[in-house]
Amino acid sequence: MTQDWRTWASTTLVAVLALCAFAGVTHGFNAVTSDGVRRSDIASTPRALPDIGLVDSTGQTLLLSDYGRPTGQVTFVALAYVRCQTVCLTSAAGQSWLQGEIRSRGLGARVRLLTLSFDPASDTPDVLAAHARRLDANQDLWRFATVRTTAELRAMLDLFGIVVLPDGLGGYSHNAALFMVNEDGRLSRAYDIDRPDIALADYLSRAHER
Amino acid sequence: MKLSIHLLASARSSTPGLLLIVMACVHPWLEQTMARHMGLELPALFLLGWFAAASAGNRLGRSIAPWNANGLPGLFFALSVTSFWMVPAALDAAVLHVGMATAKVASLIAAGALLRTSWSSAGLVIQAFFVLNWFWMTLAAGLVYQEAPQQLCSVYLLDQQSQAGKAMVIWAIAGLGAWLWRISPTALADDAASSPPAPPERHAI
Repeated sequence: MTQDWRTWASTTLVAVLALCAFAGVTHGFNAVTSDGVRRSDIASTPRALPDIGLVDSTGQTLLLSDYGRPTGQVTFVALAYVRCQTVCLTSAAGQSWLQGEIRSRGLGARVRLLTLSFDPASDTPDVLAAHARRLDANQDLWRFATVRTTAELRAMLDLFGIVVLPDGLGGYSHNAALFMVNEDGRLSRAYDIDRPDIALADYLSRAHER
Repeated sequence: MKLSIHLLASARSSTPGLLLIVMACVHPWLEQTMARHMGLELPALFLLGWFAAASAGNRLGRSIAPWNANGLPGLFFALSVTSFWMVPAALDAAVLHVGMATAKVASLIAAGALLRTSWSSAGLVIQAFFVLNWFWMTLAAGLVYQEAPQQLCSVYLLDQQSQAGKAMVIWAIAGLGAWLWRISPTALADDAASSPPAPPERHAI
């Protein structure tokens, strides 16, 4: 009888530990991939933007926290590097589409775009400026920037949960997402990189409610 | 003669420790690709635990026996641990955070050791329950890994998933095969003989 009780207790303990471990790693049974977990984590606890030193395509310096002020404007952020021939093309196309929508819907005063490069060694302001021209980016709407020093790269990648790996072909492989910094200046949403339409729809429906 | 037996015995009991040191040395290579991480390192740690418990004799089994009737919690633990490390987010965490890496090594070795310890006290039915559950889970996860259109892990590229998935399918089939081979028809007969006699039929009043 005692033996039964002990085995019941240890089985229950294993069950509790297993459930806690699974809940922890899946952010409460919300996702199985790191990207999904990050999405859920950002949505439940929006992140503040730290003072990461940036330089933009015009050579002007700024801080990432400049976007963290509660200005009432929303910023859609993507992380990329200019030489990238894979997922960054998708993210550039997505932001380009968003730029068109922002213009045609007259949202220019309320929605901005920001592309952050994680390859500061190659992506100098000149390279970023040429990239912006190729994408026909409107300077007032869509800004391109990178970190001023490589020392600050880690903090930027950690904030957005981006893991960058050398792909063995001289480039990088990395996960990607379209992030939203909300009206209060907090990183509050992550969307699939190829679904800027969902990102915009989400913004519009929330703006409508406000 | 006695001395050589003693040496042999101590060499045998220290082998799992030595193997663990070897694995610690080659773990960067093992974790470089998803297939090696999931297909070699994780099973190797599990088997290492199994081997450690086998060479430690029955001490562990005796000490936890009152808490492990029919091997139920032990097998449940082993199943939970093996399924946990199939979650892509857990695999990412194990590569990116040293605490999770340590937890991975410790949990898999414990899982292997508990499987070895719990195995004989679990009857054929409980063994079958856990083996078949583990089999279909690993097989299904392996197929999902091969087919998933999106990158599952942040630290491994999309093109490595299919290899990792294949490795899981191979382990699933190998595990099922090993178990079927182990339960020869004799074992089935023994189990049937040792199970309690069927209760007498009740007659309607």
